[in-house]
Amino acid sequence: MTARDVIALVEARPGMRLGIALADRAGQVLVPAGVELTESLLQSLLRRDIASICVEREVAEDPAAQEARLAAVKAAADHLFRVAGGGIATRTLYQCIVDFRSESRQ
Amino acid sequence: MNTLRPEQVLTCLHSLPALPAVVTDLLASFDNEDVDVGALARQIARDQALAARLLRVANSSFYGLQTRISSINEAVVVLGFRAVRSMVIAVGVGGVFRAEQCPGFGVQAHIRHGVGVGLAARALALATRRNPEIAFTGGILHDIGKLVLASCFSPQYQQALTYRERHDCPVVVAERDVLGLDHAIVGGLLADAWRFPPALRSALAEHHSPAAATADSLADLIHVADAVAHGLGLGQTAGELVMPVDQTAWQRLGVSGETITQLLPQIADGVDETCLAFNA
Repeated sequence: MTARDVIALVEARPGMRLGIALADRAGQVLVPAGVELTESLLQSLLRRDIASICVEREVAEDPAAQEARLAAVKAAADHLFRVAGGGIATRTLYQCIVDFRSESRQ
Repeated sequence: MNTLRPEQVLTCLHSLPALPAVVTDLLASFDNEDVDVGALARQIARDQALAARLLRVANSSFYGLQTRISSINEAVVVLGFRAVRSMVIAVGVGGVFRAEQCPGFGVQAHIRHGVGVGLAARALALATRRNPEIAFTGGILHDIGKLVLASCFSPQYQQALTYRERHDCPVVVAERDVLGLDHAIVGGLLADAWRFPPALRSALAEHHSPAAATADSLADLIHVADAVAHGLGLGQTAGELVMPVDQTAWQRLGVSGETITQLLPQIADGVDETCLAFNA
């Protein structure tokens, strides 16, 4: 299971993984979520005056709790998609939503 | 059945309060390359309520700025005229309606969903190299036909909403069954009456029938953004549901599931703060 923490950029270290994408003033994504931080990337972010970032870390989750959480995510998505049918585009979107919601957000 | 005729809707549209003059001018500026940006910025600044809401949006996490924007001029310099224009139109148009008088119509859920579609449309536009600003405005305004119906035809629209709840069907289906027309048709009539640019018109009128729209319109983008926002449950109502995603719209948009998954966190995370600005 993944947890997310907001930390000051100066506390960030190479090897950490970005939890939420970084965007510029126009909303253009500079660094996508999930990217592993490197020394050069951190230096580049410092030059852009970015003060803090969100990083993710792996935490252990009880298998039973994990199963229950995923079942709840799927049930919620099934409810929202109850009249959406089985078209390819619809099912692709369904899977995107389930994958996103399955990621723990602490 | 309480069917409505398009003429009744047109009569209602003509009885609405006028749009703020600056919003009308900004809409007209879509067709004018020689627009006087400075004059429009001063005009926005003179409408204090509009300017305050605009600055609130500009300073929300939506634009992720490191410094605070304190004037319309500064917003134009930092964000660009196109971004400011889209925000003013989105903020200004919604303020004309009084939909809270329609029992069963959730104004807050309507705003949350509109903001969600706006954010999703903007993110999808950036990912597919389309204009993100008009996409955001189109997303915010795509369901404005519902506001017209809830404001001008409250008793009839309440019946449509009751029908929706009873049959657990999409709102657009309930509208067609009960009223004989739907919010997309009404949105198109509004876009014509208020002389919206063609791209915005397609967002309002064709988001439920994107395959019939031209590939360069906003219909594909808003259709998929609508499904994304419903899929995230951003309206936060028990009756919320996703309609079938049109395969033609999906393919023409050319976006992969992997890209959508990457965009979902920024869409979901931006809704609360952006809503604050539109609620003011």
